[in-house]
Amino acid sequence: MSVTEQKELLTKNKQTLENSSRRNFLKNLGIVGGGLVVGIPLTGCASVQLPNTMDSDLQPNALLQITANNDIYFYLPRSEMGQGVYTGLTTVLAEELDVHPGKIKVKNVGAHDEYANPEYGLQLTGGSNSIRTHFIPLRQMAANVRMVIRQAAAQELQLPLDQIQTDDGMIVANGKKWPYGAFSEVAAHLSLPEETPIKKKSDFKYIGKHSKRLDSVAKSTGSAEFGLDVEFAGLHRAALKRCPVLGGTVKSFDDSKAKSMPGVKAVVSIFNGVAVVADHYYQAKAALPVLDVQWELPETLSDFSSDSTEAGNGKQLFKDALDSDEADNAYQEGNGREALTTSDTVVSAEYWAPYLAHATMEPMNCTAKFTGDQLEIWTGCQNPGVAAKLAAFYGDVAKEDVTVHSTFLGGGFGRRIANDYVAEAVSIAKASGLAVQLIWSREDDTKHDYYRPATMAEFQIGLDKNGNIDSWNVKRSGPNILPYTMDEVADAMMPGFLPDGMVDWISKAGFSLFDGWTVDPTSVEGLFEDYDANHKSADHVTVDPGLPVGFWRSVGHSFSGFFKESMMDEVAILQQQDPVAYRLKHLKHNPRLANTLKLAAEKAGWGKPLPKGHYHGVAVHSSFLSYVTEIAEVSVNNGQINVHKVTCVVDCGLAVNPEIVIQQMESGILFGLTAALYGEITVKDGAVVQSNFHDYPMLRMHESPDIEVVIVESDEAPTGVGEPGLPPIAGAVGNAIFAATGRRLRSLPLKLS
Amino acid sequence: MISFKLNGQTVNVDAPGDTPLLWVVREHLTLKGTKFGCGMGLCGACSMLIDGVSSRTCIMPVQAVANRNITTIEGIGNPQMMSTLQNAWVETDVPQCGYCQSGQIISATALLSQNNNPSDNDIDIAMSGNLCRCGTYPNVKKAIKRAAADLRKGKGRLQVVQVFDPTANASPETQGVQS
Repeated sequence: MSVTEQKELLTKNKQTLENSSRRNFLKNLGIVGGGLVVGIPLTGCASVQLPNTMDSDLQPNALLQITANNDIYFYLPRSEMGQGVYTGLTTVLAEELDVHPGKIKVKNVGAHDEYANPEYGLQLTGGSNSIRTHFIPLRQMAANVRMVIRQAAAQELQLPLDQIQTDDGMIVANGKKWPYGAFSEVAAHLSLPEETPIKKKSDFKYIGKHSKRLDSVAKSTGSAEFGLDVEFAGLHRAALKRCPVLGGTVKSFDDSKAKSMPGVKAVVSIFNGVAVVADHYYQAKAALPVLDVQWELPETLSDFSSDSTEAGNGKQLFKDALDSDEADNAYQEGNGREALTTSDTVVSAEYWAPYLAHATMEPMNCTAKFTGDQLEIWTGCQNPGVAAKLAAFYGDVAKEDVTVHSTFLGGGFGRRIANDYVAEAVSIAKASGLAVQLIWSREDDTKHDYYRPATMAEFQIGLDKNGNIDSWNVKRSGPNILPYTMDEVADAMMPGFLPDGMVDWISKAGFSLFDGWTVDPTSVEGLFEDYDANHKSADHVTVDPGLPVGFWRSVGHSFSGFFKESMMDEVAILQQQDPVAYRLKHLKHNPRLANTLKLAAEKAGWGKPLPKGHYHGVAVHSSFLSYVTEIAEVSVNNGQINVHKVTCVVDCGLAVNPEIVIQQMESGILFGLTAALYGEITVKDGAVVQSNFHDYPMLRMHESPDIEVVIVESDEAPTGVGEPGLPPIAGAVGNAIFAATGRRLRSLPLKLS
Repeated sequence: MISFKLNGQTVNVDAPGDTPLLWVVREHLTLKGTKFGCGMGLCGACSMLIDGVSSRTCIMPVQAVANRNITTIEGIGNPQMMSTLQNAWVETDVPQCGYCQSGQIISATALLSQNNNPSDNDIDIAMSGNLCRCGTYPNVKKAIKRAAADLRKGKGRLQVVQVFDPTANASPETQGVQS
C-alpha cells in the first residue's frame, strides 16, 4: 500500500471514528483482541545497530555494550525529562553488573521496538512506571551479563567459576584483577545465561544508597543537549502560524510580504498552518505577523468560551451534563448510589478544575532533515517510537527510512507524549525541501497544548447514624484524553496495527475499557478508590468543547486528588471530627496510605500550636501505586494565600535513589502548587486566552514553601514517584485555607477574592 | 558589524542591531548553553552576565551590548573545570530536566559576586527572575549557600577562565576573533 493510499485509508478510518463507536474503530485498526505482550527482549540478540560496534564488544542486547577497552555503555530505553531515569535505571543496571553507576556511559537512544516500555509495548515514558517496570528485567539482564563475563574469565583463566568474582567492573581471581573488557570478546561468543539469581536487598551496594545524579555535570555546565540545541551545517529555522482556534486549517494565505522579509527562504502551507523558513529563528518569527492567513475554523470549539454564562456554553456545559440523568458507570461496589436512600445524612458538593497547559521550560521543537528518501529527526520526546512513525507518515517515507536522534527533554510532564511538533517539522522540511528546526514560541506553547481536561464533579456521601461513611458516590463531567491520543497514534500507526501493549497502556487502570468501552479510566481515576465505604459508585458523562486534551502530570489524579480530599475534609468537619482521625477511620483497607498519614501528622506536629495565623491542612492520595500524605502550613493575609511549609510522607516501596525520590516529591508539590494557586487556561470563541508567563504564571522561588519529605522504609517493589507527589497538594492547601478562614474553596485555582 | 566581548574574547557579529543577544549567541556564535524559554524576559532561561549583571538576553538587542562584557554559562566553567557554584550544583543534585539551570547558575553567580553570605531573602530576591518548572528551588537555595560557604573559606572561584574559540564550531557568517 502506498503512503497516499494509507492516508486515504486513514481519513476513512477517522470518519469511522466519528461515525461509529470507538470500539469498532479500534477493531478496524486491529488493536482489539489478542493477548497482552509484556516484556522487552532483554535477553535476546540485539537487532539494533549500536554505534562503533566491534567484534570484540559484548553486546548482549540493544541496551548494553561492553567494549574491549572496558567502556560500558547503557542505551537508556526511557526518556530523561528531569524525573531521574538517567540515574535510576543506570543504578539498577549497575547493581547487578557490579560496576559503580558513575562508570557507566549513558546514551540517549533513538527509536526501536527493543526499547519498548515493558508495560505498554511502546517506547513510551510516562505513567511513573520506569523504575517499577524495569526493576526486575534490567537487573536480570545485568546479572546474566555479569555471569557470562565470569564464565568467559573462567574459561580464559582456566579456573573454576566459583573462583571468579567481580568488583566494580573488574574480574577478581587469584588475587589479581582484570577489567570486564578483557573478556568481552570471549563472552560475546558464549550463550547468555537466562536465569542467573539476582541479589537480595541486603546485598545491594548502589540501590537505595545515596548516589549523585549522573546528568548533573552536563546540566550544570550548559553542555547537556536538548532538542533546541541541535545544530549542523545547512540547518534552517522555522516558525509556524497556526489557527488561533485549535483544529483549524488554512483556507487561503498571502505570503507576498513575508517572502520578502530578511533571511526568509521559504513559506509553506502544511496541515495545520503556514510556516516561514529562514536562516535564523528571529527572522522566521519576525515574518509571521506579515503573513496573512484565512482560516477554516472548527465548528464546535469556535463556539466555546469558558467564561460564558450562556446555556450550553462555558461551565454551564459541564454543569448541565452533570445534572442530566445521562451517565456511564465506571465503578460500582455494594449497592452503589442506591444506598443513599438508607443513609442517615447525605453530604453533597460540587467541584471544578480548569484546563491547564504544561508549560515545559523548553518550548516544543523538532529538527527534520531529508537526504533523498532518508529522513532524520532530532527531538526530545516521551514517545520516540510513535514520533518515528508519525514522521514517516507526514514525510511520505517508509518507516524503516526514518532515524530518530533523541536528546534530553527540557521538561515533559506528559506534554511530550504527543508528537504534534514532529508532524509539523517533518511537513515543513518536506514542503520546503530544506533541513529545518521548528521552534515554538512560548505563545505557541501556551496556546497549542494538549491541555489537562477541565473537569466538574459532584460527590454525594452517605453517612450512617454514627457519622461514618456508608456510601461514596461521585459523578464526573468533562472531556476524555483517549480520543485525542488515539487520533495521533492512528496517524502514526496506519495502516498496520497497534502493538498489543497499547491496549494495556490505554486501559492501564484495569477497567473494562475494551469490553464495555465506556469510560476512559483517566477521567475518573482517584475520585473513589482510597477510602472505605460499604457502597461506592463512580459515574461519568462526557462533555467536550473540543479543546484538545492530554496527559498532564498525574493525569486524572491532578484534579481528583483535590476534589476527593476537599470533600473528605468537608465531611469530617461537618461531623465535628478531626480531619486526620476521621481519615484514619476510613483507611482500614488502605494501610500503606494510613501509615503515611500517621507519620506525616507526627512529623508536622498536627494538632500542636503553630505560629500565630498559621493553619494546617491535610490531604492523602494514592496514585501510580504509591501512597502520599501532605500537610500544608498556610496563612491568609488580606486574601493573600501564603504556603509556608509542606510536610510530605511517601511510600513508594523501595527507594532506588532516595535523593531523587525527595526531589520528585518536591517537584510534584511545586508543580501542583502552581496549579493550585495560579493555573487556569481560559478559552474565548475557541481560542486560548493566555499566552506567556505574565498571564499564565508559574510559582517562583520566593513563593516556594519549605518542604520536608520523609520516605517510608519499605521492602516492597519500587513504585512511581514522578507524579504521586502532585495530587494531594491542592487539597492540603485548600483545607488549610478552610481552617484559616472558614471558607471552602471548591474551584481551582484557589482564590479568596 | 557589532563587536562585544564574549567569555573574554572579542567577537564581531554581522546581525541586525535589534536582533536579541540570545539568538546571536545561540545561532550566529553557536554557543547553546543559554536557553530560550519565553522571549519576553519573564523566565530567565536566557540569562547571561552583561558586565557582571544577570540579564535577560531574549529581549536585549545586540546593539545594546556593543563593546560590553558578556559571560554565558560556557564562560563560567566546563565539565572538566567547574566553578564553585557548578560544583555545588552537582554536589547538591540540583538539576532535574536541567533546561533552566544555565540561567539559574548565571543569576546565582551574579548574586555571589556581590554577596558571599546571602540570606534566604537575598537569595529569593536574586533568583526570583529565574523560573524552574521542575521545582528545583529548594536545592538551588541549598547549593547557593553551599557555594557561598566554600567561597568564604577561599575555596574555588565563581568563574573559571575560559578560552572561547569561535572558529572551532562557528557558523559561516561569524567573523574572526580579535584578541
